[in-house]
Amino acid sequence: MSSNELLLSVEDVTLRFGGVVSLNKVSMNQRRGEILAVIGPNGAGKTSLFNSLTGVYQPQEGTILLHRIDQPALSVIGQKAHRVAKAGVARTFQASRMFGALTAFENVKIGAEDHSGLGFVGAMFKGPRTRRGERASDARTYELLEFVGLTKQANTVSASLSYGDRRRLEIARGLATNPTVLLLDEPAAGTNPSEKVELTELIRKVRDDMGVSILLIEHDMKLVMSLAERLYVLNFGAVIAEGTPDEIRANPAVVEAYLGSSATKGKN
Amino acid sequence: MKSLLTNKWLKSFGITATLMVIICFMTGPSGSNTDPVAGFSGSLFNSAPFLGLFITRRWVVFLLFALIAFVVQQGWQAYGRQVKVRYAKVMATPRELKSKRPVRLGTYGALLLLALLLPHLVTDPFWQVAMVQQIAVYVLLALGLNVVVGFAGLLDLGFVAFYAIGAYATAWVVGSLPLPPLFGHALNNFWAIPIAILIAMAAGIILGTPTLRLRGDYLAIVTLGFGEIITLFANNLNGITGGPQGSRIIPHFHLSLGPLKYVWGNGPIPYYYLILGFLILFLVGFSFLEHSRVGRTWTAIREDEVAAESLGINPLKYKVMAFAIGAASAGFSGVMTASQQNFVFPTTFSLFFSINILVLVIFGGLGSIRGVVFGAIVVQTITMYLLHSPPSGYQPADLYMYIGAMLVGMMIFRPAGLLPATRRKREIVQLREEAQ
Repeated sequence: MSSNELLLSVEDVTLRFGGVVSLNKVSMNQRRGEILAVIGPNGAGKTSLFNSLTGVYQPQEGTILLHRIDQPALSVIGQKAHRVAKAGVARTFQASRMFGALTAFENVKIGAEDHSGLGFVGAMFKGPRTRRGERASDARTYELLEFVGLTKQANTVSASLSYGDRRRLEIARGLATNPTVLLLDEPAAGTNPSEKVELTELIRKVRDDMGVSILLIEHDMKLVMSLAERLYVLNFGAVIAEGTPDEIRANPAVVEAYLGSSATKGKN
Repeated sequence: MKSLLTNKWLKSFGITATLMVIICFMTGPSGSNTDPVAGFSGSLFNSAPFLGLFITRRWVVFLLFALIAFVVQQGWQAYGRQVKVRYAKVMATPRELKSKRPVRLGTYGALLLLALLLPHLVTDPFWQVAMVQQIAVYVLLALGLNVVVGFAGLLDLGFVAFYAIGAYATAWVVGSLPLPPLFGHALNNFWAIPIAILIAMAAGIILGTPTLRLRGDYLAIVTLGFGEIITLFANNLNGITGGPQGSRIIPHFHLSLGPLKYVWGNGPIPYYYLILGFLILFLVGFSFLEHSRVGRTWTAIREDEVAAESLGINPLKYKVMAFAIGAASAGFSGVMTASQQNFVFPTTFSLFFSINILVLVIFGGLGSIRGVVFGAIVVQTITMYLLHSPPSGYQPADLYMYIGAMLVGMMIFRPAGLLPATRRKREIVQLREEAQ
């Protein structure tokens, strides 16, 4: 499925908070249509990387380029988060961040709506353009809820959805913005084994049916290894390995990072 | 002794009694040299007999209140749950009815009819003036502030500034300021409406764009400062605004379409209908707004700004929009007040005014349009009642004490307001669940 065309290229990105180096000269790239995973122990800088890719954090050094088909590449560093999102980068969050007071339907609809104009006068008096916009985003929202299998829960307040449902809702909300790449921050956290299987299938379906590339952070090794086509391993803010799941499994540096140096010596 | 201190009932009664002693002092007359604790030991109703039976002291009455409060509290602790269950059962039918469209429309129709007939039902001149100046205008203002504080979640303590801008813009357009009028000659008050709204909105955008990057407390302080700045400007720019004297020659609204001539001057009633008309327009507009893309996005930003931004939403744009819409309705209220009262002074636009409007919004229910309207009517009616026919011993300065107590009670028993907004209520339920 993945082509050789580049989608994201990250070069020598360094992110510091005061004296703490969160990302240290991280370089990576993702091809269009690829399912890529970033793994690493807690505190390795995975979420910092995500936040840098989406414009939430601004790294001090390096470049992040988002390659687009009919426009020049976007340099992510220095852009506001909402501009990066508009350029085609959607994401989910580690602890799912739904708009708890809104229903599942409204959550997705907010993503599907066009936020480029002002239009509050139209919104106050239900002008024809507002009506048209509402109809279009309603249709798109139904489509997406059906895609992730949440049509029954459409009118449930999102705070009272189950963990697994919230994860799927967050994916639907991200997809509603018509992204080219979807960043998933630990999508399987807090889900049970059967939900995990469903989630794996859903993520693959997002890539296969919608053509959206996936960049994934995950702790569940079984899920990552079965889903990702290529992985990067981060430790202490630096990339220590890159390769296919099989290559990563066999890489001694990765084993050491995960289990400590004693593991390689057979003590543990 | 120790067992006495830890006794649940004694402790509970002790707290209630202490509260009552404090209230007794606060509401009572001030002490003198011979009787420093007059607030406590003074007689109630200036030595009138209590319940017509015997002459009593204030503390006896308040002790009785404490006992009643204690019994009610104990009873609620013991039987509260059963009462709640029974109440829910009784309310099930009305609640079901409420969700039906014809019932809802019928209720709104009946309320509208009541609003239309009200000036004929209330004939006391004090209340007719109060209905326009202190209730209708305040409902409008509360509706506007509700967009800023309730929908978008931005604490604005300088709301009065936009109201002042609206009032002064009116005086300017109709040629009642030392400053020459906007288009060289005086215009009809109706022209002041769009112009004041535009000026207020522009002020909202100018203030909002740099400051709405701030959050919570910081924003509150900056807006508070803005409110003060506008008042000081109005007060000090003598050759432009008329200084501390303001302007006293603002004409009434008037209409002349060929042979048809009409002046909104004969008493407050014509203004009542004029404001009511616009109020309905605002009510419909703001309810549509709440359930539109803009309203949903405000909720999203209020709940989680980072997540909202990840969907391509520019939070600053939506916040400034809320600010501008709130400012517009405050500016409009300014036009109404200035035209109806025929004057503007800087001292009317004080910090207390902003806080008063905020109280109405919080009391009615942040983000709930019907709640805010109802809350504004209730609070303003109480305020006006206390002004019109004060109970014995009441001093005007006590007003905020009572309103404060009302708000505290509200926060305990109905934290989302009198008629809470569905979305806000859900948020509070979530907060409670998270805290547990």
